[in-house]
Amino acid sequence: MNVIFSFLPVILLLTSLYLLDSFNLVRAKTLAFCLLWGVFSASCSYFINNSIQDLLNIDFSLYSRYGAPIIEECLKASFLIYLISRKKIGFIIDGAIYGFAIGAGFSLLENIYYLFQAPPEYNLLTWIIRGIGTAIMHGGCTSFFTILFVGGINRSESRFLAFIPGLLFAILFHSGFNHFPFNPVLQTLLVLLILPFVFGLVFMLSNAKLQKWLEIEFNSEVEILNMIRKGNFSSTKAGIYLKSLKEQFASETILDMYCYIDLYLELSIKAKRNMMLKENEFPIIVEDDIQAKLSELGQLRKQIGKIGELALAPLIRMNYRNLWKLNQFT
Amino acid sequence: MKVQVTKSADYSVAILEGRVDTTNAGELERAMSEIIEGGSNKIILDCSGLNYISSSGLSVFLLIQKKMTPLKGQFRLCSLQPGIREIFDISGFSSTFSLFSDKESAMKW
Repeated sequence: MNVIFSFLPVILLLTSLYLLDSFNLVRAKTLAFCLLWGVFSASCSYFINNSIQDLLNIDFSLYSRYGAPIIEECLKASFLIYLISRKKIGFIIDGAIYGFAIGAGFSLLENIYYLFQAPPEYNLLTWIIRGIGTAIMHGGCTSFFTILFVGGINRSESRFLAFIPGLLFAILFHSGFNHFPFNPVLQTLLVLLILPFVFGLVFMLSNAKLQKWLEIEFNSEVEILNMIRKGNFSSTKAGIYLKSLKEQFASETILDMYCYIDLYLELSIKAKRNMMLKENEFPIIVEDDIQAKLSELGQLRKQIGKIGELALAPLIRMNYRNLWKLNQFT
Repeated sequence: MKVQVTKSADYSVAILEGRVDTTNAGELERAMSEIIEGGSNKIILDCSGLNYISSSGLSVFLLIQKKMTPLKGQFRLCSLQPGIREIFDISGFSSTFSLFSDKESAMKW
């Protein structure tokens, strides 16, 4: 029974989150790596935390409130920072699931350790608190780190400092939890009630945003791309807007912008097609030249520059990072 | 949107008219599901009157295709207006569906 309560809640919540990913943005292999990273972070944390406590001779209760959350959250977050920097995570939905998986892996190892080390006075209630409260707290902290990090990147495009608010939030939440401000049973109940609700809300909003992007823009993108391919782009609203930029940018940049829009639309339409195929459990279509086109898009993006990209913002809805991610479906 | 169904011994023909978007995609799904549940495993969707289709509509087409697969059935689209055909061609959906230029060629099984 102790084992069931130690492991089952976090596994159930992770499975539920995975099933909520209706667009299948999460890759099973990456998810497995995240779980393993969680296990690895827990073992590293154990050695680091023990070493620091021995070195500084700090009381366990004090260290668990202020020191351990910093070490543990930084370790858990580091793999997510790597995944985001490699554009393996593009959306809040996949980010939250990967984050939760790391927290789940972490708490699984931690609970195994406690199961073997537990003093005889630990009763079933202790395991319920550990399995539900602590385990879901670990998953939740890492998950919210990713939600805030990805949200920050999607707003500012800069990943260098965007992880700081998320990391601070995760550390503070973890530290707050370890202070046990409420009765442990009440605290566990709060975690159990609040976190799944917040996850549900975040997932619902993110899904709605993706659905809107898919529904509203698909046809207009096809229409504009068709006009470009037929040489009638300049008569469209987008073409007129691009022409209006001629005074602010060099002719070569305008040409690059034109090529950028053309490629962006093609890749965006194909990404949407693959999302629809995945949603309906059809095999996706991967054209041979997708990687070359993505590289070309990246190159054009550099040539246009930040200001050029800002000027194109009214025509380009999805940011480069997300488009890149969506075209990585294999 | 209007769906008019004609059934014969071998196949069913559904004539689709108007727009298929998020507001009525469910209606199309129900109409097509009824045809499948009625035992038809060869369906031709005549799109000559279809003048707009959004991603929700395309998802319904995919869903019908998916439902037909275990039945070893065939789902064919015919008479697509040039604008609609372009959506299929540009997005790459042309290879996912069986598209025919007219009803007569779609009826050759």
